[in-house]
Amino acid sequence: MKSSHEPRNSDLTGPRVNRRTLLKGGAAAAGAAAAGSLTIFLRTARAADTLRVLCWPGYEEKDVIQEFEDTHGVKVEFKIYIGGEQMLQFFNQTPRGTYDNVLADAEYIRKLAAIDAVEPYNPGEVPELANYHPKFNNMHQVQAGDGMVWGTPTRFSFYAISYNSDHMSFEESGDWNSLFLPKFEGKIGIFDWYLPNMGNASLAVHPNKENPYDLTDEQLGAVRDWLLRLRPQVNMFGSGAQAIVQAMINGDVVAGMIGDLDIDLKLAGYTNMESTIPVQGGIRWQEVATLCKQSENKELALEWIKYMSQAHVQAKLAYTKAFKARGPNLKIADHWTEEQNQLLGYYPDPNNPGQMWVETLIDRSVGRDLPVQQEEKAWIDIFNEFKTG
Amino acid sequence: MTEGSVIPPSNRSLLKPAFLAPPVGYYLIFFVAPLAFLVVLGFWIVRDYQIVAEFSVGNYVDIFSQFFSRSRFGWALVQSIYIAVTTSVFAVIFCYLLAMGIVFCIPERYQRLFLVLAILPFWSSYILRLFAWQLILAQKGVLNHVLGELGLDDPLIITNTQIGTRIGLIHYLAPILIIILYVTLINVNRNLIEAARELGATRLQAFWRVIVPLSRLGLVFAFGFGVIVSFGDVLSGLLLGGGIGRSWLGSYPLYSSMIMADYNSYTNLPRTAALATIMVIIMVAMLVVAYRMADRAKRQLA
Repeated sequence: MKSSHEPRNSDLTGPRVNRRTLLKGGAAAAGAAAAGSLTIFLRTARAADTLRVLCWPGYEEKDVIQEFEDTHGVKVEFKIYIGGEQMLQFFNQTPRGTYDNVLADAEYIRKLAAIDAVEPYNPGEVPELANYHPKFNNMHQVQAGDGMVWGTPTRFSFYAISYNSDHMSFEESGDWNSLFLPKFEGKIGIFDWYLPNMGNASLAVHPNKENPYDLTDEQLGAVRDWLLRLRPQVNMFGSGAQAIVQAMINGDVVAGMIGDLDIDLKLAGYTNMESTIPVQGGIRWQEVATLCKQSENKELALEWIKYMSQAHVQAKLAYTKAFKARGPNLKIADHWTEEQNQLLGYYPDPNNPGQMWVETLIDRSVGRDLPVQQEEKAWIDIFNEFKTG
Repeated sequence: MTEGSVIPPSNRSLLKPAFLAPPVGYYLIFFVAPLAFLVVLGFWIVRDYQIVAEFSVGNYVDIFSQFFSRSRFGWALVQSIYIAVTTSVFAVIFCYLLAMGIVFCIPERYQRLFLVLAILPFWSSYILRLFAWQLILAQKGVLNHVLGELGLDDPLIITNTQIGTRIGLIHYLAPILIIILYVTLINVNRNLIEAARELGATRLQAFWRVIVPLSRLGLVFAFGFGVIVSFGDVLSGLLLGGGIGRSWLGSYPLYSSMIMADYNSYTNLPRTAALATIMVIIMVAMLVVAYRMADRAKRQLA
């Protein structure tokens, strides 16, 4: 979904234009070809009333975007990516100004800010934040300083224990250490990405730690030991949710550190699939709408962010054909059916009067982040050791 | 021929470079240039999440420093080579028998029909085929259901092992290998087989002493092709091998899936490129070995 282009100026990859920059541009172009992403947005064909968004699947669905297009009389073009690294590749492969908004995972904001891709804005511009769960108003990943933010959360959900209730009880699912039970030897599925798994392992070893990614070397060593101990229990590493869902349906896997895959499975009639966040805590993924620094259409881009913060829009976004998730705007429950609220946890929590079950899960979970005290490589090497152990 | 219309000597004809240009251009654009870029990229670095064209051997030092410890890229590489070689052996045996069946047991007028049927899977999606195999081979899959009905209660564990990986790969390779081996066998001189039989050779002797030696070139070519394709494949290992399928070597992922995971999780394309370059070097080495084997087989046939 990308293409030939006519750069606005000679600045292909940033402010520095020299041999290195040009080489980087060449690298990006060849990288694009190597990755098979040969379609680049045609800048010359761009109409003034067009907004361009780089995002995860779901945002482009007609139900989600139609109202915005009709209200503002514009066309929104989407470039879909799968995974934060692919997002960075796509962004770097196009001239600055190609995208007006990037929809990124919260922890990738740090990377986008480092490459001068996003622009902070005043959260006061987004009035719907008043209806957000407080944790989403205080996400450290989006704080840009001086009261400004890098983005507004739009969708989230959890990486926790998904399990087959025919094999794992509700009580067992409430403790990460249940994964070590002998009956689960060779029956555990793992999503093949170090960040959520090591975050969960960190919480298992250091329960309810405020930031499970902020570990000393000694604490990280304990996480490594926990993972290596878990290895004999692992049956598979799934490159994506679909592979693990299939393994759970086929009976090859009965539980895993893979998140709330049960939502789609329940909708498909698999009532024995459940998920929960153990008492030690779990990891939460969060998508954030950002404003591109080099956008020529910032006003409209900010309007899109405001639009995506609304409860009725998030109600559609979190319940797309692509997949089901949750919305940070708690008013979302007003726009869903009783069945949808039950499925996604927007119902009163009997143990915590005055709050919904989803709020309990939010309180029990921590946002996914990048390693704080070590380089990413140190964590990836440990995860590789776990995988090849 | 009139004066003035003399055909220039062949070494001065413009036709030669004109005809050579497209294949050479194709080769340069789609093979040499990307390969050169991959190799060069592996020597660059990443600073502030951006690629910087600054020469460094750091990526290779990092990879080889943990080749058989920590990340264990080396064990993944050994696992990949082992799976590729054994898959290719099984695939060649299976496809050779199938091609023999078509050539020697099917009347000539029906052979093309059977050949088309044999290569039919080639026109279906590889990923869909792998998901279909999952449904068949899973613990609660069709195969174990049938075995259960037959009184075998202990399910066969095939998915998420390297046996599963091989099954997916063999299905992937089969259509191409069948064509290679069919073409090889159809060109075996029948008179030589008949002569061997008339001189007292049994069917088995005729097979081992006439058919196999005469199809050695095709067998070597099919084997080499199978090894290289299996070595580079990532999907079968992920979907049927479970990413870390166990073989007698141990529960190691395939090297190709390590490259993919590195690309997906680490903002360091140069390191991924270095990992890929190592794979390409192994592939080129495999090509050289396959070429030499084929060359030797060709000389023995001549």
